[in-house]
Amino acid sequence: MPLTLLKAGETARITRITGNDATRARLAELGFVVGELVQVISDLGGNLIIGLKGSRVALGRDMAARIMI
Amino acid sequence: MSIRIALAGNPNSGKTTLFNALTGAQQYVGNWPGVTVERKEGRLKGNKDVVLQDLPGVYSLSPYTLEEVITRQYLVADRPDAIINIVDGSNIERNLYLTTQLLELGIPLVVAVNMIDVVRKSGDTIDLGKLSDALGVPVLSISALRGEGLKEITDAAIQAANTRALPRLPYVFDGAVEHTLAHIEEAVNHRHHGGLHHHHADGSQHEGALTDEHLKRWYAIKLFERDTKATEGLHLRQEDLDAIEDEVTLCEQHLDDDAESIITNQRYAYIQRLMEQSVVKKRKPGALSVSDRIDRVVTNRVLGFPIFIVVMFLVYFISVTTVGTWVTDFTNEQLFGEGFSLFGANVPGIPQAVEGWLDGLNTSPWLKGLTLEGIIGGVGAVLGFVPQMFVLFFFLAILEDIGYMARVAFIMDRVFRKFGLSGKSFIPMLIGSGCSVPGIMASRTIENQRDRRMTVITTSFIPCGAKLPIVALIAGAIMGNVWWVGPLAYFIGVAAVIVSGIILKKTRMFMGDPAPFVMELPSYHAPAMGNVLRSMWERGFSFIKRAGTIILLSAIVIWFMKSYGVVDGRLAMVEDMDHSVLAWLGGLVAPLFVPLGFGNWQNTVATVLGLVAKEEVVSVFGVLYGVGEGALDLVEAGAFTDLAPIAAHFTQLSALSFLAFNLLCAPCFAAIGAMHRELNNIRWTAFAVGFQTALAYTVSLIIYQLGILPQGGFTVGTTAAILLLLLILYLLFRKPHRAELAAAQA
Repeated sequence: MPLTLLKAGETARITRITGNDATRARLAELGFVVGELVQVISDLGGNLIIGLKGSRVALGRDMAARIMI
Repeated sequence: MSIRIALAGNPNSGKTTLFNALTGAQQYVGNWPGVTVERKEGRLKGNKDVVLQDLPGVYSLSPYTLEEVITRQYLVADRPDAIINIVDGSNIERNLYLTTQLLELGIPLVVAVNMIDVVRKSGDTIDLGKLSDALGVPVLSISALRGEGLKEITDAAIQAANTRALPRLPYVFDGAVEHTLAHIEEAVNHRHHGGLHHHHADGSQHEGALTDEHLKRWYAIKLFERDTKATEGLHLRQEDLDAIEDEVTLCEQHLDDDAESIITNQRYAYIQRLMEQSVVKKRKPGALSVSDRIDRVVTNRVLGFPIFIVVMFLVYFISVTTVGTWVTDFTNEQLFGEGFSLFGANVPGIPQAVEGWLDGLNTSPWLKGLTLEGIIGGVGAVLGFVPQMFVLFFFLAILEDIGYMARVAFIMDRVFRKFGLSGKSFIPMLIGSGCSVPGIMASRTIENQRDRRMTVITTSFIPCGAKLPIVALIAGAIMGNVWWVGPLAYFIGVAAVIVSGIILKKTRMFMGDPAPFVMELPSYHAPAMGNVLRSMWERGFSFIKRAGTIILLSAIVIWFMKSYGVVDGRLAMVEDMDHSVLAWLGGLVAPLFVPLGFGNWQNTVATVLGLVAKEEVVSVFGVLYGVGEGALDLVEAGAFTDLAPIAAHFTQLSALSFLAFNLLCAPCFAAIGAMHRELNNIRWTAFAVGFQTALAYTVSLIIYQLGILPQGGFTVGTTAAILLLLLILYLLFRKPHRAELAAAQA
């Protein structure tokens, strides 16, 4: 399921990332790679703040929907 | 011989703080060639032979953002003598991703683990020795903010540069990938030793002209990743490229993944192993840090927005109405006015002081007039806003430094996305409600070029502080003090932003997928006063600099135009503005404004002078319509009966039309200058100003012509207004053509 379905405070592992090369590369350089443990810190109507690798990244809903867990 | 050291690292890693700490005031700020990405260079404090080059903050050396391309082009083509790779110690895992790429460039490198004080405080430990052994380069800890370890890191970098100590490549990739990379290197070597050097006719070399052995690894990996932008300069033969492609495909089949992901995943896997050896984290995975807990509240679905409103209200309120106004009033009324008393002594204002000085020199009346009215009057009116801007910048810099501004962009993104702008566009508009100039400058932080241009073009629609006297004059003296004119002004501004956003987004220039919102959020921390003051000063000073050039020049030109006229067939100074060159020019242009309901030369001149500073409109009305010099003061005092002579020249409808035009048309020269600086292209600037003025004209025409319809009946003007209204509606709701979409994406 997409990351957007995770509730605030929950943690999951990334299983797949969809989208074109540029999108996936942009996510990868911020640490979004398959197998990575991510945590939803805050959920603002589908726009998420994600904690991973000790940093926080804000993702728009359309971007978060490309990350499968 | 000077040594060139480049500073590379992630955004938010403290790179700018380190650069400032190492160079002090010895900085040269410019742009990277052809783009509006800021380039900073400076000399090391205490060692003038060392030139430090600050590189844009990047997360990797991939070809997907402008900053990444600039960074890698510089590192490959300009080859600094050494790199200081600054790494955020509190976020080391993600930061080392860039490090693994920098190591492949064959340039001496030292790693600076920054924010070591934050790491210590959190109870984590980083074994620098083990990291250094594994990476094959010196790894030192620093705190850029507290100035810890700066001497050690620069010494290490200088030593690495002098001894040309190349990084010993760490074992990042597994056997299958290394095997393929070896084959690729062979193919590249084959070409290299074959003597097939292709240079361009002009002698320039493309990104990646293979000039030395050190870049072999870099090119091999880039060829593996199929990063054609990096490798096109190699001019490999088709048969070599085909052979490489076969090797890569084989490796992909073997590892069941695409080449780019293979490289990315193995880099992270390598860092993971490195972390296990050398970093001990105290906090359990999944546990929330203090910063995360703040985010739970501040970006909360229910509380996020109200908190944001309160914070912004406080900032705005304090800057514009209290602290800012005290200082601004002092500047306007005392420093550039009647003078003030300091500890009982009477200090004259600048105009009086200069007047006295000029009288003493026995200067001619025209030079005195130019200096006092033209230069001090014109530039002084603008400089009067500086203190207020500084106060606003101070608070905004605090919000930026503690990390809140990044959250604001996140909170506002959902709203702004609906009309083609990014959440990051909000900050410029917020600042623009004080003054458009710093607002437009703040658009720099938006990475996506389309979003940035759109923000630059629309920011000045938001009524700035200098437009408020016009609003007050029209509300108080002409509209009978009704409450809704003020809110209407803001409504017109916001509506113009939304309408422009939607319309422009459907044109070829701005079309394309909206850049999805992705933004790293720095962890909250106490503001560092050094950074805050520096940011405030940089923004404020760039405005002062502009006041000293473009505004000064336009003030001089306009003074001449309003003070001179044709008397008895020759050019001479005139007593009142009616006979001036400016009045004559105004008369020529005025017919254009007849359809908008304010087509006389006085209104035209006032609008044109508004380009120097918007509040000039009110002052000029005062002079031209016989109220006197102090019209601006009368508006501020709310003495609207004294302003009746101005009101006599307007109907309520023509006043509204005039207001709309002045709110939306080209902003003041200072703001146009700021727009030009950010757009960095004269055609774009011309487009922006043209678009704003055309929109202003259209809106005013619609207001006036539809307003007089009940009395005036159906005329040519009515037809034009209806047609323009239909055109706007069409542009708002049309579906872009498929051909246009395709062209935009190509």
